[in-house]
Amino acid sequence: MLKLIGLPMLLIVVLFFINVATGFAETTCFQCHKRTDFRGKVVHQPVAKGRCSACHSPHVARFKGLLQKSGASLCYGCHKEQAAIFAQGIVHQPVRQGQCLTCHDVHASEAKGLLKGRPAETCFACHKELKAKYKHTHSPYAKGNCLACHQPHQAARVQLLKSEPDSLCVSCHKRDMVEQAHPDYPAEIRNCLSCHNPHGSSRKAMVRDVLHKPFKKGCAECHTQGGTGTETCLRCHEEIEKEVLSIHGHLLYQEGNSCTACHSPHAGDTASLLKGSQKQICRSCHEDSFNRYRDRLYIHPEPFDCKECHAVHGSNHLAMLKDGGNNTCSRCHETQGKFTHPVGEEVVDQRSGQMVTCVSCHHPMGTDFKYNLKLSGEKDLCIQCHQAY
Amino acid sequence: MKKLPFLVIFAMTVLLFGGAQPGYAAVTWQWLLSLKGQTSSGHSMRMPSALYCDQAHERYYVVDTGNNRLLSFNKDGKFIKEFDAGGQLQSPFDMVKDREGHIWLIEKGRNSLTMIDLENKAVENHSLSYHGLTVFPNRLEYKDNIFYVLDKATGQVLKLDQDLKVTGRFASRGAMGFVDFKIRNGLLWALQRDAKAVLSFAMDGKPASSVVLEDVVRFPCSLEVGPSGIFYILDRHEGDVVVFDKKGRFRYRFLTPGQAQGRLYFPIELKFDPWGRLCIVEEGNGRVEVFAR
Repeated sequence: MLKLIGLPMLLIVVLFFINVATGFAETTCFQCHKRTDFRGKVVHQPVAKGRCSACHSPHVARFKGLLQKSGASLCYGCHKEQAAIFAQGIVHQPVRQGQCLTCHDVHASEAKGLLKGRPAETCFACHKELKAKYKHTHSPYAKGNCLACHQPHQAARVQLLKSEPDSLCVSCHKRDMVEQAHPDYPAEIRNCLSCHNPHGSSRKAMVRDVLHKPFKKGCAECHTQGGTGTETCLRCHEEIEKEVLSIHGHLLYQEGNSCTACHSPHAGDTASLLKGSQKQICRSCHEDSFNRYRDRLYIHPEPFDCKECHAVHGSNHLAMLKDGGNNTCSRCHETQGKFTHPVGEEVVDQRSGQMVTCVSCHHPMGTDFKYNLKLSGEKDLCIQCHQAY
Repeated sequence: MKKLPFLVIFAMTVLLFGGAQPGYAAVTWQWLLSLKGQTSSGHSMRMPSALYCDQAHERYYVVDTGNNRLLSFNKDGKFIKEFDAGGQLQSPFDMVKDREGHIWLIEKGRNSLTMIDLENKAVENHSLSYHGLTVFPNRLEYKDNIFYVLDKATGQVLKLDQDLKVTGRFASRGAMGFVDFKIRNGLLWALQRDAKAVLSFAMDGKPASSVVLEDVVRFPCSLEVGPSGIFYILDRHEGDVVVFDKKGRFRYRFLTPGQAQGRLYFPIELKFDPWGRLCIVEEGNGRVEVFAR
């Protein structure tokens, strides 16, 4: 008799706890919020379990959507491992900014990983500069499989590549096949991206669109017995030699050719034969500068190109600026070039005895003070020189 | 018996706090003086890039790159005179004096190692090459009648005799080269920027040691080695000096960025002078700040 009563009681107790644990109690939410809005092929685990309160406060909250926390901090409450991993190496901008919802849906999605769309759709939503299609398109790119080569969150390499470019290529293109495709190649085949665009191009085999003139003529134009050092390039590009011989020439203190650190000697996507966008190239070495200023409250407006202000081959000015701390700025900031706090040769910075320029007070890359000032413009900055005030 | 716990605590305190190595205290370097371009012409320095110390004559020479001149100061920081070789200099970047008193300059503007014979008023420009490739001199040292030149194109340090013939080189095993070097304690010490490492070599070029620095420096541009082997690294972007022990472990950093006295703005070279002072050449503030213990 006791067993007869005990078993149903046990069942009731177990069901109660299961219901509580799965948030069945929160079906209250769905009395107002349509359950169909939370359905998809992939459903976020707390939603599937009806645990709305894992993320939302039902009565009152500090954040929009009655969320308990804002941005990524809410996601990292459960995805703790990711929080640690996403802080390392080169981090995708939305991840760094804690904007998980740029790519992911929160409740349900038709795509794996709760992505907002197919991976490529999600990527192209921001990377609008990328062509959808080329005359000759790389197969993974054509299929929208960006993740074949790139990591979505963070990576140890620039452009969020999964591994070194050559390793990535040979992971699909077997080495013997590559060798067959380059029968007359005089050396070990490497540095694939020097000639091929990994997304696509108008040429067969995705050879980049613009060929270096000497490359068209033949290898011997540059590959002489004297080697292929920087001066090989400077023999033709005399105008660049002047810049390289400036106070801060951009030679790289390393064996090999400094020019080919940024330019492809064989083929490129544009006439400058750069190996990527200007910003990507600068970033590959100057990651620290990008990281230092990216989270400042006031940064130079995006999108900007490093080359707008910096002379990339060399300069006789500080920070390799194109034309000093006044003229570089006033090329765009015309009004300030004519009417501003006195600047120029006749105006001396009381602190250092140097000429006052825009960069005496502003840090163009970014600061935590309005107008990119180095200190607060209300007082702290001014009294550095105007102590009597 | 009651004394035993006390003794244990005392011993542990001594072991924990008494073991710090002398010379790691951050507060010991105090601003002493500035070398500025307060000349008769009133020109301030513009992007000075190097300092040479003449121990015998107790003089500092500052290479005032942006104004194409050299400035000399006495040991107390008093300006003595300026020299521009009759307006012939083109972006001088570093200098030494040889045993005959000739001035040797790196001139970036003409990519030359230039000799100036003051007595005979002669200037000789020398283009350097090694294994058929042009050398782009960036830093220069002189010791025991030998020139040591850092080639910016390769990042290796070349050893040159009095006839400027390359007799040896100091290079890392990989492609990555050096951004600065110093000859101290009978060794040549060289700084790698990307690897954030300091390598040392015997004077015949044989590698002696390699120390990877703890990753706390953003943009190392110059190094010094203390008598006890402590590394001082100048961080150009942070505007401070970072100190590491012999094993590359971070100890402390000192100085702050800015334009006021004792602060750093785009510093470019770090050097101990013969009188034990720490000198920092600042491109941004157009001066050399001298610190003493």
